[in-house]
Amino acid sequence: MKERVNLRAICALAVLLAATPAIGATGSLESYVTYLTSDELEGRLTGSGGERMAADFIAGQLGELGAEPLPGQEEFKIPFEFTAGTNDGGTTLALKAAEVEREWSSVDSVQALSFSDNASVTGGVVFAGYGLVLPESQDFFYDSYTGLDVEGKIVLALRYFPEDMDQESRSKLARYSGLRYKALQARERGAKALLVVAGPRSPNAGEIVPMTFDTAVSGSGIIAASISGAVADQLFEHVADKTLEQAQASLDDGNPHVTGFEIPGFELTLDVKVERERRTGYNVVGMLAGTDPGGSDKPYVLLGAHYDHLGRGKNGNSLARAEEVGGIHYGADDNASGTAALLEAGARLVGMEHKRNVVLAFWSGEELGLLGSSAFLNGPDDEALLAVDTTAGYVNMDMVGRMKDNRLTVQAIGSSSVWPRLIEQSNVPVGFDIQTMEDPYLPTDSTAFNTASVPTLNLFTGSHEDYHRPSDTAEKINYEDLARVAQFGALVTYRLANMDQAPDFVNVTPKRQEGGSRDTLRAFTGTIPDYTTEVEGLRLSGVIEGGPAAEAGLQEGDIIVGFAGQEITNIYDYTYALEVVKIGEPVAVVFMREGERHEVTMTPTARD
Amino acid sequence: MNPVISRPLCGLLFTLLVIGLVPASAAEEPAYEESDFLNRVRRLTFEGRRAGEGYFSPDGNQLVFQSERYEGNPFFQIYLMDMMTGESRLVSPGPGKTTCAFIRPGAGDILFGSTHHDPESEALQRAELEARAAGEEKRYSWDYDPEMEIWVAAGDGSGLTRLTDVRGYDAEGSYSPDGEWIVFSSMRDAYNRELTEEEIKILEVNPAYFAEIYLMRADGTDQRRLTDAPGYDGGPFFSTDGSKIVWRRFDEEGLTADVWTMNVDGTDQYRVTDFGAMSWAPYEHPSGEYIFFASNKLGFSNFEVYIVDAAGLKEPVQVTYTDGFDGLPVPSPDGSKLVWTSTRHQGEGGQLYMGDWNHEAALEALERSPQRERPE
Ligand SMILES: [Zn+2]
Repeated sequence: MKERVNLRAICALAVLLAATPAIGATGSLESYVTYLTSDELEGRLTGSGGERMAADFIAGQLGELGAEPLPGQEEFKIPFEFTAGTNDGGTTLALKAAEVEREWSSVDSVQALSFSDNASVTGGVVFAGYGLVLPESQDFFYDSYTGLDVEGKIVLALRYFPEDMDQESRSKLARYSGLRYKALQARERGAKALLVVAGPRSPNAGEIVPMTFDTAVSGSGIIAASISGAVADQLFEHVADKTLEQAQASLDDGNPHVTGFEIPGFELTLDVKVERERRTGYNVVGMLAGTDPGGSDKPYVLLGAHYDHLGRGKNGNSLARAEEVGGIHYGADDNASGTAALLEAGARLVGMEHKRNVVLAFWSGEELGLLGSSAFLNGPDDEALLAVDTTAGYVNMDMVGRMKDNRLTVQAIGSSSVWPRLIEQSNVPVGFDIQTMEDPYLPTDSTAFNTASVPTLNLFTGSHEDYHRPSDTAEKINYEDLARVAQFGALVTYRLANMDQAPDFVNVTPKRQEGGSRDTLRAFTGTIPDYTTEVEGLRLSGVIEGGPAAEAGLQEGDIIVGFAGQEITNIYDYTYALEVVKIGEPVAVVFMREGERHEVTMTPTARD
Repeated sequence: MNPVISRPLCGLLFTLLVIGLVPASAAEEPAYEESDFLNRVRRLTFEGRRAGEGYFSPDGNQLVFQSERYEGNPFFQIYLMDMMTGESRLVSPGPGKTTCAFIRPGAGDILFGSTHHDPESEALQRAELEARAAGEEKRYSWDYDPEMEIWVAAGDGSGLTRLTDVRGYDAEGSYSPDGEWIVFSSMRDAYNRELTEEEIKILEVNPAYFAEIYLMRADGTDQRRLTDAPGYDGGPFFSTDGSKIVWRRFDEEGLTADVWTMNVDGTDQYRVTDFGAMSWAPYEHPSGEYIFFASNKLGFSNFEVYIVDAAGLKEPVQVTYTDGFDGLPVPSPDGSKLVWTSTRHQGEGGQLYMGDWNHEAALEALERSPQRERPE
């Protein structure tokens, strides 16, 4: 009992110390960000030399702090392997009929889908319409495979979803029209492979599906490729009564009674070759040992930030404008800011007594798809470096360097019932105008922990026009407030580390159904959603210059409440509405500006 | 941040809220904005459904407030927040309803209104929880419980002592600057005499009609009545020099209210505001130069914080400009901060906010404010 009283007394003192801004913090934060964003590090792309230099720098700082490597690790740097890129390695398609044999081998005719396995398969062909299957839970019957036997066959399916259905049905189907999901459906029905063609009545008509950046490893058992419209037309020469265009037209009104059919008279041999470049990335992880970790039900608390960025932006998620393409993406806010704040928070935590072990985790591979944090949690052989059931909570900092008007967004607070209290206690000395958000499904590393049933929190100071562009540079960082974010992060972590009982985990139901994927999002509007403001509707933090939204006269601060006849109450409504609009066809956009309702017409363009 | 993941499956970063109740007409451009008066606005409370009524200790290091965060009790309990560490402790006993706490200068004792002594209080808690579960929560469920009495306890909740014990709501108490006196609001007048038939009807629909301002010593003795006007008199506070009391007086129907001041013996009652709206929750700035209050001048459910010169000679100046409720303004003892209750986070209930108060700007704005035509 006495011991506990003592600890409390020390705690109060530690909080008092923590409540005062650290002397010199602003200067060290600036020096961290300056180094991480230097040209030498070339945008810290995972697997690059720049990433390695950043990792070495962070490891050096951890050493100076007096952190130690995780139990069982020799070093702060912990490697993980990942797929750095995919190329077509010479995929071919061969047709063998009674009188003719044909072969296509150029990437203009046939190309692997980036998630495909490498394999050669031979079989007859079944045209399965759009290859769409909706789960029963959707209360909307649509199954392209009704009455079709595709066992042992190669399925030929159209990309996207029926073009002429009503908006509501399209929005339902759109969610299940991702190519990976379609390939999975074909495989589940015993098909040997999936061939996809963008129909003549669809956007990108007849074009090969580009190989996107995909970090999937091989071994999924899916064999899939895309073929050109010209190749599909040649396959359809074997169909007696219709062309591909006619077949598509009969499907486009969504009549569920129009089914696919076997294409007789030939066999196809599809030989898919995907080249995957394997590389090594490094998480950097240090630990500040607790005073009584054994006395805690869950002896670890994690505070983390990703330190990787986009390099020169060649992996598909750069938003560089034409004149910036290929430039170094410095990623000062995303996420040199969080990295620096984590180092600063670590320095603060060294001086604060904590029962649990505090782990400072610097992730790599975040920009490529949460690779580092996921590898950390799952391990190379599904063996986590830190058992998640020993982890009391995870606090993440991603993009925390652009604070405006004292506003800090604290996300994922729905993941545990303890967060409101901890946020309150931590914020009284720091004094942010905090906006809280419940949803733990976020585009950052905290999501990997949420998936592992660990309570999470994410700190964020808001998106901006330099997001994922080379213009996200060090001099735009608000260092004074960054120091306060570090202080706040340290305080929350400190309180977590000293809680008698580990926080409960609340499993928040995701509001978004899975099944879709980025390749279903076809329309481009050039809107930049504001992720930090809770409004009814979609508030814009900006519009992309020259994009359809800008052309329509939309601007920062506008709140979209209606789009193409759909009511918009949140970003999901907007995404759904966007999935089903037709490119080049004007839609009405209703928005609020300074409390007044306005309506404009916007014409979405094609997303490339 | 990773946009690839944000687009298809994550990124639900919005929750619902009602877009402002501010009328769209921009006929009268406000002369100021919030940042002219308030900086580093921050949200102080997060735990529990709602919180409000924050009052500072004389040294500014503590804040007493009410919050719905006591497990199993759907009503407010009283908490004391340490402004250095951010930690809060429960002061009130736990069961029942409590409201309107205040820290005693010099002693650190805390007074508050409470019904915990009422044997019915736990049944009322259950009834409220059941009503909520059934979705029947009353929109504004302040019901002037006649069992509400003023209690005082030490900062850690010990030494709980009852100061009032007559039937009728006794609450809304606050200490004089020397800690020797308590001014409060009581509805005892509805229970301590024979009511006329008309008054009996009024008691059923508008019990607050009977509320008057009273004064007593810090130990509960020497209770005396200061006001005698039909309509709800409540929310009284001493001025910083202890010479005046500022409070709000509703009209007979309880539809409009104004800020009033009087001497501590009840003489020289003086109406400071005249918006013809609900102007209430007054609290003097420690400089003595002006009074904070909240009013719905801009629309029935759109409360904002205003300041008015103590003599009420100038047009009041609006100081908050954010959608949602902003009210119950209380300055820190050194006058450099303002704590108030707001729904600006778009939550289901109010929470405490604090901002750095720009006293110079406030004085200047009042100086520039037009002279008011007073009817009397
Ligand atoms: Zn990013």
